[in-house]
Formats: sequence, structure tokens, C-alpha cells
Amino acid sequence: MDLGTQRVQVVVLKDGKIVGRALAMSGFDPTKAAEQAVNEALEQANLKLSNVNHFAATGSALDMAPYANSKVSMMGADAKAAVFLVPKARTIIDVGAEEARAVKCDEKGVMVDFVLNERCAAGAGAFIEAMARALEVKMEDMGPLALKAERASPINASCVIFGESDVVSLIHRQESKPEIARAVYDAMADRVSAMVHRLGINPEVVLVGGVAKDPGFVVSLNRKLGINVVIPEDPEYVGALGAALIAATRVKEDPK
Amino acid sequence: MKNETVERKYLPEMPRKEMDELRNTVKTASQKIIADNIEHMKKADPHRPEAMKYFDEMADLFGKRQKEIAAEKEKGKKVIGYLCLFAPTELIMAADAIPVRVNSGWYDTSKLGDRVVPVEVCPVIRSTIGAKMIELSPFLEQSDALISVLTCDGMTKLGEILGDTKIVWGMNIPRIKDSTQSLRFWNDEIKHMKTQIETFTGNKITRKNLKEAIETSHRATKAFRRLQELRKGNPVIMGRDAMLVNQAYTWDDKKRWTEKTEVLCDELEKRAQRKDWVCSPDTPRVMVTGTPMFWPDNWKLPTLVEEGNPQGIIVADEQCSGERILNDPIGVDEWSMDDMLNAMSERYLMASTCPCFTSKDGNEDRINWLLNKVKEWKIQGVIYYVVRGCMLYAMEYTRVKKALDKINVPVYYLDTEYTREDVGQMKTRVEAFLEMLNARIDI
Repeated sequence: MDLGTQRVQVVVLKDGKIVGRALAMSGFDPTKAAEQAVNEALEQANLKLSNVNHFAATGSALDMAPYANSKVSMMGADAKAAVFLVPKARTIIDVGAEEARAVKCDEKGVMVDFVLNERCAAGAGAFIEAMARALEVKMEDMGPLALKAERASPINASCVIFGESDVVSLIHRQESKPEIARAVYDAMADRVSAMVHRLGINPEVVLVGGVAKDPGFVVSLNRKLGINVVIPEDPEYVGALGAALIAATRVKEDPK
Repeated sequence: MKNETVERKYLPEMPRKEMDELRNTVKTASQKIIADNIEHMKKADPHRPEAMKYFDEMADLFGKRQKEIAAEKEKGKKVIGYLCLFAPTELIMAADAIPVRVNSGWYDTSKLGDRVVPVEVCPVIRSTIGAKMIELSPFLEQSDALISVLTCDGMTKLGEILGDTKIVWGMNIPRIKDSTQSLRFWNDEIKHMKTQIETFTGNKITRKNLKEAIETSHRATKAFRRLQELRKGNPVIMGRDAMLVNQAYTWDDKKRWTEKTEVLCDELEKRAQRKDWVCSPDTPRVMVTGTPMFWPDNWKLPTLVEEGNPQGIIVADEQCSGERILNDPIGVDEWSMDDMLNAMSERYLMASTCPCFTSKDGNEDRINWLLNKVKEWKIQGVIYYVVRGCMLYAMEYTRVKKALDKINVPVYYLDTEYTREDVGQMKTRVEAFLEMLNARIDI
């Protein structure tokens, strides 16, 4: 179970294979959301709650996880799942709603170093959401819009609040929406790439988390890093998958 | 003496009623936090040393020690407060005055400091300003004069701001450590401070008095080092307990502190013989470095480490609120006045690993301290603790990380503020770091 700030993801693993998964909005009651997602995922897998050997929880709200037998740090889960999906992965960038992080790991998927955007959401998904609001476009339209931009117009995303006032001044300069949308992604990619550089870039670099599905961000990040990051299928499930993989090893160690 | 009617340059005039209300609120909250911290420390170690009772008592900043100092003042003794470890406390003791450190560890008063300086300023500074505004800090209020050493930018201006209501003596510390002119200059500063303290207290600092003060420090250093040595092996004391003992030195009576610390060490030695460890010997061994962590509010990081899941134990630190306080003795050859003053200048300047310094090799002394600690204390991971606005520590991180990467010791940069709101986020980070250390140990 990955209990994030906006969404809960659940993955059911049986004999090393994903047999069920589900997603729910965290809302005001992450515990209830997680219970729902667990039920849905188990239904998909044709399993019952009593069939589950071990529940592992990760995510920022992991202390609110139902059924949890153990917990896994978000960074540890990222590393484990990324290497499972992309065996050559050594650097994992995870951009979620409120947090961006980068993890360095070894060939077994054990993390050896990590870094987070400390106390600031300017490098995370919430930034895109706030800027989409300022531009009066839907969040899912931001990416495709940015790809239409013909040039870059830099803004300084030191934080969401100041970023918004930067966007307003671009609006006053009558920049077009695609240019402004791209400016938003470029600013985010700047923050994220500075963070990854502090950690060191070891290929393969894998991008996961909900924001990995946003083409606007991916293009900007690749441009900043000068490489093409690898994006696994369904990157938003990576945290839950990592927790499940670690749960599986814990069942082996301690089969209750 | 300072005239109360002198126009203030920085501090706002606050109505007495508002000041009293704010002080009472913060004081009540603080006493609860002190009690909570101690409660947590007691729970963390079921066989907590008996000798810690004394330090628990000393931990109450509004308690016994405040009353003792008040009684001494009644008898005519002067109290000289200081803001940085460079203040030559032996000169204060030799003039029969009481040295006490007055940096603020109260989160709540940093918000008051925001009325005077911008939020970008380091919270240690903002909080000390706030504490002054509502007359919260017993030791700051009891100080008859303050020594302000111009180390970082914040400290430089803090002395000036406190000068609105206190007598403040600035000491100009040279920022290039390894040059003869620096040492000469600093030596002059020390000599000047001697005269200032003598004039202020009316007590002449004699050769005999200064020798006695230096010897008091020597005995304290011996006890201090003994305690840190005991943290080298399997854990016999929680990091938080040792950190409290270390820090209490800055406000306690020096001779009594030394006695009590020796008693604690006796107890810990017996404990080591019984193999009665405070936690499993394979608990990850952590060192903390960076911004000072002042009692009582800045206990969130050590608490998170030592009560984390997985758990860690702090066996060493490189902080001016911790092991830097007494690590180095004053090396006197001959007990002449000149030689003692020279030895003091050398000890205060050369032995310091404060990031305010640079030199030909950069601040290599700090790197050497850290590497030595890692090796001798078998450190498995380092937490680099920085509060927002603490520029010098933040900047030196890059160099420290490189040095630790080279010997394959993980380091985590944890930045925080004078606030309780980020404990949840910090917990995630600290526990992930400890999980990583465990994973490395298992391999």
C-alpha cells in the first residue's frame, strides 16, 4: 500500500507477479481509502483479506495504513520496484503531488543514498496544479499545451506562491499559454535536476510517480538532464509495488 | 551602566502587559517540553544511570540553576553571558564572575524575532531576539554583560541588537585561521577582554586566579572526554542523555558539573562491565553535525533518531552545542600570565572547527575531526543538520559530503526550522536514512 498525499495505490503480489492493483483518492480519510483500494485489488486477484501473508505500507501517510504488518520508506520502495521493473536502474526520480525525491541504489534495489525537495512543493505535482489554475486550463491539458511552445520564457520557481506571481507577470506580458505552460515545467525540471545533480546521476535514470505521466514535465526534464529518462509502465504504482516486493522478502524471512 | 532611556536601535518597545502574557505562555509551554523530553529520555533507557537525575534537574532552565545564580548575584557576583564558544570563559571565572551561554533554543520566540528581522535570518538569532523581547531566558536576563563574538553574519548583528538593552562586548574573530597575524590579532582581543572584564567586575585577574580557572577547565575537559570515550564501544548511554550532559556545562557550575559527570562515567563503566547495553549493539551508530541544537526545543532530531523505527543511536556529534564545548584543553607550558593568555588564544582559535573559518586548505580541521570521529567511534551514518538561514553550515555540506563519500559513509542533509510542524516530514527522512543504514549493515 502506498498512502500518498493525494492518492492511495495498492498492489497485490502473488508468486512474484502482480495479480491485482487499485487506486483511490486519499481524501480526508486515507485509512478508509486504503481499505477500499485493498478490497478492489484483492477482488481483481480473486483473493480474500485472509489470504494475504504480509501487508507492507509506504507513503507519507503510512502511519494511517490499515492491516499493515510492516512499513517501508518511500525511498526504499522506489529503489526496490525500479530495479524490478528496469534491472539496470541505478537512479530513481520520483515526482509526486507534494514531494520530489531522488534515490541512488545498487543492483539489488537497495538504496544507498537519497535526497528530497526539502519543505517546498515547487518541484512537485501540486505546482503544476496551481499553475494550471492560474492559466485556467485543466491539469491534464498542461502537458500537451507546453509541447506546443516555440520558445522558453524562464520563471523562477523558488516556491509555489512566488511561482504563481511569476506566472501572473508572464500573463501581463501577454505571453501565450503554451509558452507559460512550458515555463512552468522548465522551472520544475530545474529544481528537480538540481536535486538529482546533488546526488549524482548514474544511468539508467528512471522516472516514476504520478508526474511521470505528464509529457510536459518529461520533455522539460530530459532537456535539462541531457538524457532520456526511462519511464516504466504505470509509474504511479511504483511505490506500492516496491512495498509489495519488500513485503514478499519479509514473508520469506518471517513466515507467520 | 546602560541608561534605560537610551533610544533603541532595533528592539520595539513592548507594553509590559503584553510582554508578561507572552512570557508566561511560552514559559509554561517550555516547562512542559522540558518535562516531556526528560520523560522520553527516561523511557528510552530502562536502566538509565542514577547520575542522570542531577542533569535532569539542571535541564530545567527555570529551576534550580536560575535560583543559584540569582543568589550569587545578590552577594554581588557578576554574570557574564556569551553567544559563541569563543568567549574565553576562564577569564570570566578568574574574575570571580559567572559565565553562562545565552543562545536561545525556544521555537516560539523565533516568531517574535520575526517582528525585528526577516524570516530569512537564522532562527537561532531570531529566537534569541524574541527571547530578549519578552525577557524569557533566565540566563540572558541575569547577564550583566554579554560577549558577542563576530562569527557568522547572524551573530555579528545579534550582539548589536541585544545592545539595545544590555552591555555587549564584541570580539572580532579572524576568519583565516592559519596565519600568524590572525593569532596575534586574536591574542590582542583576548588581552583586551581581560581588561574589560577586570574593569567591569572590579576584580583583578591575577596569575593565580587564572591558573586556577584554567585548571578547573582542564578537569572539566578530562571528565568530558571520558564521557565521549565511553560512547566509543557498545552503547552504554543514549545519545540524548550524553548531549544533555554536554550542553548543561554551558550554564552549570563548572566544578560541580565535573564531579557529577565523573560519577556518571563511573556508573557507565560498571554498566559496560555488566554488558548492559542501552540498545542492541547492532543499532546503527549515528553522528550529528551542523547547526547547534539548543535545549530544550531542538530535541526533535535526536528524539526521532533514537525513537525511530528502525532505531538509531547517536554516539557522537560535531556541534558547538555538543562535543566542541570542551573537547580541547588549554595547553599551557609555563604558568606565566603571558603564556596562559597565549595558550588560551591558541586553544580558542586553532582548536575550533566552526565553519566561519577558512584557511589555505579550506576548513580542513573540521573534515579531520569528522573523519577521525567516524573511524574511532565506528560511525555508520552522519546526519548533517541545518536550520534554514544557517549559511555557513549549509555551504560546507558539499565538502563534507565529498569527504564522507570517499570513505563510503552515508550522510544525509536534513534542513529544518524552529518549528514543531515538520516533525512528520523529518520522521520520514530520518527513518528512511536509518532503514538504509540497516540495509548496508545487513550486507
